[in-house]
Amino acid sequence: MTVQEFYEEVGGDYNEIMSRLRTEDRIRKFAGMFTRDESYKALVQCINDGNADDAFRAAHTMKGMCQNMAFTRLYKSSHEITEILRGKDLESAKQMLDVVTEDYNIVIAGIEKLLA
Amino acid sequence: METTKTTEAVEKNTILIADDAEINREMIKFIFDEQYNIIEAEDGEQAISIIMEYSDKLCLLFLDLLMPKKSGLDVLSFMNEEDYINYIPVIMITGEATDETDEKAYELGASDIIYKPFAPNVVMRRAKNIMELFEHRIYVERKLEKRTRQLRESREKLEKSNEFLVNALSSVVEFRSLESGEHIQRVKYFTKLFLKYIMKFYPKYDITKEKASLIVNASALHDIGKIAIPDSILLKPGKLTGEEFEEMKKHTIYGCELLEKFKQDENEFYHYCYDICRYHHERHDGKGYPDGLKGDEIPIWAQIVSVVDVYDALVSKRVYKDPFAVEEAARMIIEGECGVFSPEMIDCFGLAKQELFAVTEGEFSFADVMVK
Repeated sequence: MTVQEFYEEVGGDYNEIMSRLRTEDRIRKFAGMFTRDESYKALVQCINDGNADDAFRAAHTMKGMCQNMAFTRLYKSSHEITEILRGKDLESAKQMLDVVTEDYNIVIAGIEKLLA
Repeated sequence: METTKTTEAVEKNTILIADDAEINREMIKFIFDEQYNIIEAEDGEQAISIIMEYSDKLCLLFLDLLMPKKSGLDVLSFMNEEDYINYIPVIMITGEATDETDEKAYELGASDIIYKPFAPNVVMRRAKNIMELFEHRIYVERKLEKRTRQLRESREKLEKSNEFLVNALSSVVEFRSLESGEHIQRVKYFTKLFLKYIMKFYPKYDITKEKASLIVNASALHDIGKIAIPDSILLKPGKLTGEEFEEMKKHTIYGCELLEKFKQDENEFYHYCYDICRYHHERHDGKGYPDGLKGDEIPIWAQIVSVVDVYDALVSKRVYKDPFAVEEAARMIIEGECGVFSPEMIDCFGLAKQELFAVTEGEFSFADVMVK
């Protein structure tokens, strides 16, 4: 799988990421780091624990990473959940979490194929 | 000077990146890691301890706003409290622009704010500009500090030389009159004591530390006019005749004539010298000499020298009299038996009395007293 195909599959912006990171090797390296990051796990955990503050921070971190990686689709859903959590609305966050999870799983599955 | 600058540039080559997400740190790291040492911090607390440890080497800090333990704003506040903010430039990294936090970050001294996602070459340019600006500012500040220090040192040197010359000049009279060898040093010291209380309890005179030091120096010259008094009067071992005393009184005028030859109208010090020479025998009731000024017509610095001069004369041994005991001298001054002084001078005399006695009765050499 090429990097371009990967970005198409996960709903990301290939041109944008290339303009910033310049080489596909570097993009692969960063993609590897993305799978190791624990913000998503923390987000799920904190929402289940009812800890809105830490959930907000985890969502915020995730959103920032998606911006940096140009994962546009996951960026949109993590941005939305960040704003919901900024308002400490845990009930709405739970519903939004399903969307985030779906987008996140697509990205992770894509990275696994990319790095296979 | 050039060498220190180069060493500084070599040593200050470390960038601290504080962000809780590895990816975000790497995004900045790969831009700079060919040219700079990179240190990473995963949260605000780590960032603070790294700043403390590596403050000498850090040339830039990339700071995430939202981090665990301590936020980016907490780190900025810390840097303000400990003054690091003036030596290490900070670039904030944030996901979105919110006017409130941006404003706060700039208020706390952040140099720039960069929004995710960022273009590496732009970040590089902005970072380099900011580092250059800081380096230049610190360099200029150090240079200025050095200049200020040099100026202060040369001013202190000049003041010392001035004091030396004034002392040398005033001791000419002492030397000739063969008595009261340390009278001038004591008058200076007593004047200083009086000024201390004037500054503390009579702010209306607006005596600053600088003015006080000029007045103390000027007090040394109070009797400079005696240089023009003939030996037959100045050195006479007995009481002076009326005529002789009239001549003696003229030392106040002679002193001023001498000073006027070198008149410096715009110089504060000149005026203190002049006033003290001329008016240190005036009396509060207007019955002094040479001009018969009264009350607050007599400048406060001349009033001070007047009272301390009388006190020192009373407690000193002269060819024509034995010294008075300090308590007796104090009583004579306070009760107006020896000159008439303003209530303010009497008040200051009361306040300074014990310190005056200590000098009069002390065994120590005058050099020691002046150092204190």
